Amino acid sequence: MIDNISYDRSLQGHRRVEHRLAARVRVVAEAYALLAPSLVGFLLFLVAPIFGVAALSLFDWNLMGAPSFVGLDNYRELAADPEVWRAVLNTIYYVVLNIPAQTVLALLLAVALNRRMRGGKVLRVVFVLPWMAMPVALGIIWSWVFDPRYGVVNQLLGTVGIDGPNWLTDPAWAMPVIASVNVWQYTGYTMLILLAGLQAIPHTLYEAAAIDGTTPVQRFFMITLPLLRPSLFFVLVTNMIGSFQIFDTVFVMTQGGPGGATDVLNFHIYQQGFQLFRSGYASALAMVLFALILLVTAVQFLYFRKRTVYDFS
Amino acid sequence: MKRIALYLVLFAGAVVSVAPYLMTLNSAFKEPAQVLTTPAWEPALPVTFDNLAQVWSDYDMAGFLMHSLVYAGAVTAGQVVFSTMAAYAFGRMSFPGRDALFWGYLATMMVPQIVTLVPLFLIMREFGLIDTYLGLILPTAFGTPYGIFLVRQYFRTIPVDLESAARIDGAGTLTVLVRVLLPLSRPILATLATITFITTWNTLLWPLIVTNGDAIRVVTLGISALKGQHSSQYHLILAAAALALLPLVVIFLLFQRHIVRSIALTGLK
Repeated sequence: MIDNISYDRSLQGHRRVEHRLAARVRVVAEAYALLAPSLVGFLLFLVAPIFGVAALSLFDWNLMGAPSFVGLDNYRELAADPEVWRAVLNTIYYVVLNIPAQTVLALLLAVALNRRMRGGKVLRVVFVLPWMAMPVALGIIWSWVFDPRYGVVNQLLGTVGIDGPNWLTDPAWAMPVIASVNVWQYTGYTMLILLAGLQAIPHTLYEAAAIDGTTPVQRFFMITLPLLRPSLFFVLVTNMIGSFQIFDTVFVMTQGGPGGATDVLNFHIYQQGFQLFRSGYASALAMVLFALILLVTAVQFLYFRKRTVYDFS
Repeated sequence: MKRIALYLVLFAGAVVSVAPYLMTLNSAFKEPAQVLTTPAWEPALPVTFDNLAQVWSDYDMAGFLMHSLVYAGAVTAGQVVFSTMAAYAFGRMSFPGRDALFWGYLATMMVPQIVTLVPLFLIMREFGLIDTYLGLILPTAFGTPYGIFLVRQYFRTIPVDLESAARIDGAGTLTVLVRVLLPLSRPILATLATITFITTWNTLLWPLIVTNGDAIRVVTLGISALKGQHSSQYHLILAAAALALLPLVVIFLLFQRHIVRSIALTGLK
């Protein structure tokens, strides 16, 4: 009798555990069912290609016939290729022209907009208008704007008596012109992110600093800049990752010219991989660009982590 | 005095932001000779529709726009549906491997797109999908890490109590997602759809690689080819650029509130 009862109890307990286990299994199954489509896309079209490109960089393959294993030959070849070094330097030059100009302009505009004013909301929308533009269309428009004879820039310069250069066919000017497209396109976007960061800084800090007799410039450097660091960090990291991948405007405006002056890494990889069909070599070049981006991002992480983080949340 | 300087700076910024759009539109309506002989800021008088009519009839502009619409529309639909599903799993359910997987998704946001393109091209070639809509759409149609992250963060701001109440009433996971969370998530879904559509509409590199004929040539390829052939016929290529930008302007003006807010939010996490 007693044995029976205890047996019954343990059976019930067993059932309860079984029940809970079944519910748990169901939740996990449901979670993976919801995740399934994105997981297929993630594994097949993102993870597999990343491993694929690393493997492919060790082969010589023109997309026909069988690929032949060449070890690190592609990397040896690219390290000895002056065109690759030029593409790396061109890419860095583009980023250097781009990021500081865009960030400083965006910061100025954000500080100017960070107050109650008439039309502030409208201005925000206007400043974000360039962000959505199609880079290919911008490439067409900028080619016209900087046309030596028919472009608005040289027309404007002409009104003050300056004879403007042949922008896009001048090796010294082609890259700055291409960088100006990106500065135009992303300054407003960057400004909005910085503005959101500015608005999170407590007013009381400025009031206290003003009572202590500081000048606006001092307040900017001692309060605004340090407290804006998280937003600045975000903006710098993401914009830089994007800038290293410049392609569309180069493709439309210069095709890497004149004389290789705008041949950036992404464009060089495209040419090697999809015009000359050297898929192994292009894969090795892609790995170089990847490494470059990782390196720059890591440096930014280290630099920003060293500094103090303030938290008002 | 300081206020005037401030407004001047902001006004100059605003002018620079809209000037390229306005000048392009203006020139698209000018007579061909006038595009070359008059300054860009001089209004189009008399207004002519010849340039637009010419790119429309001599080139398959209607086709380019149509193909881009299918491409961007399909990717946007896939992104919204599948990102939402994944975001719910990541944001609201607990299962083994969740955090590792989520960090894996986020880590790939740092990978430059070009890295995946050679293998992606090979995959599409293997499946016989070169020059097809499927080949064009598939890589981004299952939801991107960015989209999943955006929606997940939003889901986490919705109180769990709402969900528990529905669960007590006997609602299953799918019902909770569709009936409780989605109605509350309209702003973020509109934002994600807008951003995805704009980004896909503007994409050049992947269509350049995976398509090669006229059959499904998208607008970025169409107008860049036009620029290659007629680089000095500004009345034509500017009209084409204006047509390619027009849908973006419409969408932007409809959803600008969402876009401005979502950009502001991205920096704050």
